Amino acid sequence: MKIRAFTALVVCKAVRGLAKLFGRGSSLPGKYALKICPDILAHLELPELSIAVTGSNGKTSSVEMIAHVLQNNGYKVAYNKEGSNQIEGVVTFLLGASNMKGKVLSDIVLLEADERYARHTFKYFHPKYLVINNLYRDQMTRNGHPEWIKSIIGQAIYDDMTLILNADDPLVASFGKDREGTIYFGARILPGDKLRNEGVYDDGKYCPICKKPMKYEYYHYNHIGKFKCLHCGFSRPKIDHALTETKDENGKASITIDDKYEISVFFTGIYHCYNILAAFTAATAIGIEPEKVASSLSGYVLKSGRISDFTLGKTQGRLLLSKHENSVSYDRSIDVVVGDSRKKSVMIIVDAISRKYYTSDSSWLWDINFEKLKETEIDKIFLVGQYCDDLAVRFDLAGIDQDKVQVYETVQEAADNCNNLDSYLYVITCFSDKEKILSIVTRRELT
Amino acid sequence: MTVKILYLYADFMNLYGDNGNVRIMQRRLEDQGFNVVIENSTVYDDDIDFDADFVYMGSGYESNRNLALAHLSRFKGSLLRAVVNGVPMLFTGNSYDLLGKGITTADGTFLEGLGIFNYSFKEQLEKRYTGDVVLEEVATKDRFVGFVNRAGIPDSTEDMCCDAIKVIGNVPITKDAARVHNLLGISLIGPVLLKNPNLAEFFVSAICNRKGIEYKEIFYPRSTRSHEKTLKALLETDAGKKAR
Ligand SMILES: [Zn+2]
Repeated sequence: MKIRAFTALVVCKAVRGLAKLFGRGSSLPGKYALKICPDILAHLELPELSIAVTGSNGKTSSVEMIAHVLQNNGYKVAYNKEGSNQIEGVVTFLLGASNMKGKVLSDIVLLEADERYARHTFKYFHPKYLVINNLYRDQMTRNGHPEWIKSIIGQAIYDDMTLILNADDPLVASFGKDREGTIYFGARILPGDKLRNEGVYDDGKYCPICKKPMKYEYYHYNHIGKFKCLHCGFSRPKIDHALTETKDENGKASITIDDKYEISVFFTGIYHCYNILAAFTAATAIGIEPEKVASSLSGYVLKSGRISDFTLGKTQGRLLLSKHENSVSYDRSIDVVVGDSRKKSVMIIVDAISRKYYTSDSSWLWDINFEKLKETEIDKIFLVGQYCDDLAVRFDLAGIDQDKVQVYETVQEAADNCNNLDSYLYVITCFSDKEKILSIVTRRELT
Repeated sequence: MTVKILYLYADFMNLYGDNGNVRIMQRRLEDQGFNVVIENSTVYDDDIDFDADFVYMGSGYESNRNLALAHLSRFKGSLLRAVVNGVPMLFTGNSYDLLGKGITTADGTFLEGLGIFNYSFKEQLEKRYTGDVVLEEVATKDRFVGFVNRAGIPDSTEDMCCDAIKVIGNVPITKDAARVHNLLGISLIGPVLLKNPNLAEFFVSAICNRKGIEYKEIFYPRSTRSHEKTLKALLETDAGKKAR
């Protein structure tokens, strides 16, 4: 190992130790290491097996599940569970997992890779497998747009990598075009599938290759489904591992992969199913028996869960964690509300758009299919936070009955006005705003 | 009385909730007493009928925008006649780029623009220029708030009518937006008519004028509050040039 790389390693480990002492799980150590030795990753001795996961949604959940399966099957896994997925974070965890000679002491490296930074990280080391979950309109204030993200993920892909792709997402599947050995996962027709795109926009309308119109046999959600270009013939590739069934009966939920591997789950949300399928495909790709993968995944409870139940005064409710700046995640939460036949109310909180950066951009509210709420009986609708006016205009133009709508600047005001509902309250918001409601509902539970 | 909104490439150039502008115009025109018809065009249409009362085009992938430009260029004559005749038109996001002399794409290709304004844009794929901005129109001191999300920067600002008085993020511009007759092109993306009710009023009153109908002043408090809150937040924040 070169002296500069060694110095970087020592500094990283020292800063990491200090950071731990002060309780900061940041990527600062990696930042210092990169300053000292920009190509530090190239100096590490990595295990032969490595898997990276990227895409718009579900990276953390997929990585968490893959790690669980691997550990359950006797692998020693190094992975960035602290979720810092940009290059500094990757350096921090890899140096942390290595000895003083720069040898990473694990059987496998598992990596959550930020879709914008993978091109920097993979300059120095190539994961053997790269899983790409999906590409949506997500955080476009920093991600530009899906086609741009596709082009920069493209810069991170090398010939020696095996791609594991979501076959049902046209933009993702297009990475596998003319690339032998690509592994695909996808879903067969499922209950709840649609024959037409229900969204405000349709990112599957035109072919990502030739831009001519595409035709879908069915949609699982948004632009995810069985597609075919009528012009150039680009179509949903042949699937290696398929989600073949989802069941949710009498509180017992399960999914089936490849017609035979049944996995018990806590909910059958389509998002969640794809993450499980991605994890299943990645784990079988490295050679673990599918039966063992299925049994490891069965009953696994995600640490990064997105549902919390609460009581607020007399009101019973559930928080559906969604992502601001991501209309697809809001659309899924709206599906949950619409699918509930009880008497219910909905609260939408948009107060801080991101916890990581400042923006006032609320244009993504116009990409969410709030119109769908008209398909079900809703008691009251609470529009809350700094962007309550933007929400109010959006809901008005969605044609939603204005008598049901209440608008509040702060979460506290909203909470004070919905603590005595005889309808079930769904709260839809993002990581950046969830504590504003959770702190209130928790406090009231205690008193 | 019926008014027609021509929504150019609604399914191709609608990347940032741009559809909101059409919905806001529809509502405001209905509030003026009009019956509103919306006509969506696609890049595969054989013709575009510019006999409209309002024309709108939003943002898209650069690849989509380039195809839209190629398609629109076929109807340049009738588009320019409509501009000269004072048809109110709004081009937001990267559709504003194609109103100029042209666009140099990331691979170095020069695409000839519609030539209404003198600027041309040069694009790259390495990074996005994104950020919240406050624009101030030099002539009127009107302020516009919104978000920029683009791949290109202009080579000339001589036709641009607004100063960028605050930029939060990575957007290397000092000026933006261009006007001629009742056409406005502006870099801001998404439903700019929500956060900038003065622009919505400009277009609605221009449409009323052309229809020979008296424009009724109607107050939209949510829209005004959204503008004021955003303007205040953007002017006050010290997030400065913090990278995303
Ligand atoms: Zn095609």
